[in-house]
Amino acid sequence: MDIRQVGALTFQLDFSQPLYEQILEQIRSALAKGEIGLGEKIPSVREMAHALKINPNTVMRAYKELERDGLTEKRRGQGTFVTTSEERVKTFRAELVKEYIDDFLNKMESLGYSWEDIEGYMQERGSRRKGSDLT
Amino acid sequence: MTASIVNCQQITKRYGDKHALDELNVSIPENKIVGILGPNGSGKSTFFRMITGLVKPDSGEIEVLGKRPGSGINREIAYLPDRARWYPNHTVAGAFEWAEKLLPGFDIANAKELADFMEMKRDMRVSGMSRGQEARLMLILCMARNVPLIILDEPFSGIDVISRERIIEGMIDYLSDRDQTILISTHEIYEVEGMFDYAIFLNQGKAILSGDTEELRAQYGSMHDIFRQFYRYGKGGF
Repeated sequence: MDIRQVGALTFQLDFSQPLYEQILEQIRSALAKGEIGLGEKIPSVREMAHALKINPNTVMRAYKELERDGLTEKRRGQGTFVTTSEERVKTFRAELVKEYIDDFLNKMESLGYSWEDIEGYMQERGSRRKGSDLT
Repeated sequence: MTASIVNCQQITKRYGDKHALDELNVSIPENKIVGILGPNGSGKSTFFRMITGLVKPDSGEIEVLGKRPGSGINREIAYLPDRARWYPNHTVAGAFEWAEKLLPGFDIANAKELADFMEMKRDMRVSGMSRGQEARLMLILCMARNVPLIILDEPFSGIDVISRERIIEGMIDYLSDRDQTILISTHEIYEVEGMFDYAIFLNQGKAILSGDTEELRAQYGSMHDIFRQFYRYGKGGF
């Protein structure tokens, strides 16, 4: 696993998995966590490819998908920027919440747990977490 | 469907009773950075010499840029052979002037841009260069040409890590806005695999696996992992 820094962004690349998916995921996650702010400029394809030492086409593919999802926008002659729409980032965070929960529920269901079981476990974990916060 | 720049069907080339290429079938997509990967003796150099018309196949068909290989198309190919050297009494600037007169498509502005990317001073003399610096110069002379096909045979071999990084970064910067096909053979994959769009694995004169690197990663893992499996399973585990 290689850790590489590009401006304010940190990437961990695993060459045994598709690289474009990793770049996409890691930029998305930086956006969702607020590590890159609204309207902020992100590195150009060339800067990103140079710093990560990977093919510019791979970076381009990730950038196109971010743009298509409305998370970034290209400004003519200026580069690529994070969307200025707070609403868009909010929706995106809500989409992530839905995705994580669905993922969790699918795993629990595949283990054979009912919704009641899951609810019970969640409450137990929740109160334990709160408890540990206080100590 | 992408057009292919090199197309081989059932190419065989023997030296004595050794098959350098053994019914090789390969189709190389254009405008990509292509890794030709395989251990020493797997047929990489013979394949490149065949593309440039220096070696003729014993049997099979090969098309390069839609034509038969040979002097007719060689002005459209920049070829850096294995272990190439440059005149020791030239400086970087002197080599560029020489190349401008003699190499078809050589663009001195491109060469200067590449020299900056790869941190090569113009007044440096070849006789005083490290092996890595000389390799950078050879690479610049090749890549600065406005030709559709560039062939680099083992450009990283025997080069220090710093030179290798400069070369990779320089190539990435330079290639960001260019339509060229670049074939790079190497048996040292680990640090360079990120730059390939497409990879072809050769073993014992045959192409045993090829494809888009991102798809290969999804299916088998890194190019480095795939390469190591070759050694483990001998004739290729796929």
